[in-house]
Amino acid sequence: MNGNRDEKLDNMLRSRRVEPAGADLAQRIILKARSLPQAPHISFWDSMRQLFAEFHLPKPGYVLASALILGVVIGFSTPQDRSPIAEESSASVQGFLAADETLL
Amino acid sequence: MYDRVRQSQLQIILDNAMPAAWPDKDDHELLERIQDGNGQAFAALVERHSDRFYRLAYRYLQSKEAAEDVVQDAFLKLWENPALWQPQRNSKFTTWFYRVVVNLCLDLRKRKRPAPLDDETSVIDERQPADEMMIRAQEQNALEKAIGTLPERQRTALNLCFDLELTNQEAAEIMGVRLKALQSLIMRAKTTLKERMKDYL
Repeated sequence: MNGNRDEKLDNMLRSRRVEPAGADLAQRIILKARSLPQAPHISFWDSMRQLFAEFHLPKPGYVLASALILGVVIGFSTPQDRSPIAEESSASVQGFLAADETLL
Repeated sequence: MYDRVRQSQLQIILDNAMPAAWPDKDDHELLERIQDGNGQAFAALVERHSDRFYRLAYRYLQSKEAAEDVVQDAFLKLWENPALWQPQRNSKFTTWFYRVVVNLCLDLRKRKRPAPLDDETSVIDERQPADEMMIRAQEQNALEKAIGTLPERQRTALNLCFDLELTNQEAAEIMGVRLKALQSLIMRAKTTLKERMKDYL
């Protein structure tokens, strides 16, 4: 009895009806696809190349950028000014400040 | 730039010269060609599979127009971005695409509740005698209503196994569950249906 009910339910589930799709469904999809551009398939290396291409500079730009970088590097790599003139001016400033303190 | 224009012109010529159906090419081969922008391969894939995906979408949406729209959207997404299909991650195209269609259907259902099925919307086979037709229509209607009240996962399991006649293993793969879990879903669904359909069984 229970087996019959199972079987009948299975048959009912298998014979559920579907309203058929339009005969031209596939053609409509194909036609619509023709008007749509396809996104290009970009690999990791292609995307990296594109990224670097974004930063492409004309030749004078490279010269200017190189000069700027060189200037910054040289500026930071030069030791602090310890010339006798600089030390003298530093001593005079210290002397001036010390004189003020003695007045106070 | 000129080369790209020439290439696309050449592709159009090749597309038109090739036959629409490629029975000797499997889905993987067609998808590889689609990834190279081959429209004819896309056409072959659509012609091969649109009906079965429509059937699945129809089960979820109970509307011809909505189901057709979902199938169209799914295929156009694939065309626009063929890299979505990753053969190394997906074992079989149909398994992956069933999942795409199911997700689109669920999204659509979330946005728009389906119209309740009434007597006029049930599909009647005109080859059967009138009385039998009436009984069949009532049965179908009751069954659709009963299935409509099932939890989403149970309904999906039933649709995949009974309606699309996929194996339990395939259905489990599509749903992303273990085989035992799928069998349990089907069993629970059938228990509920037997209870709700007792007048017809």
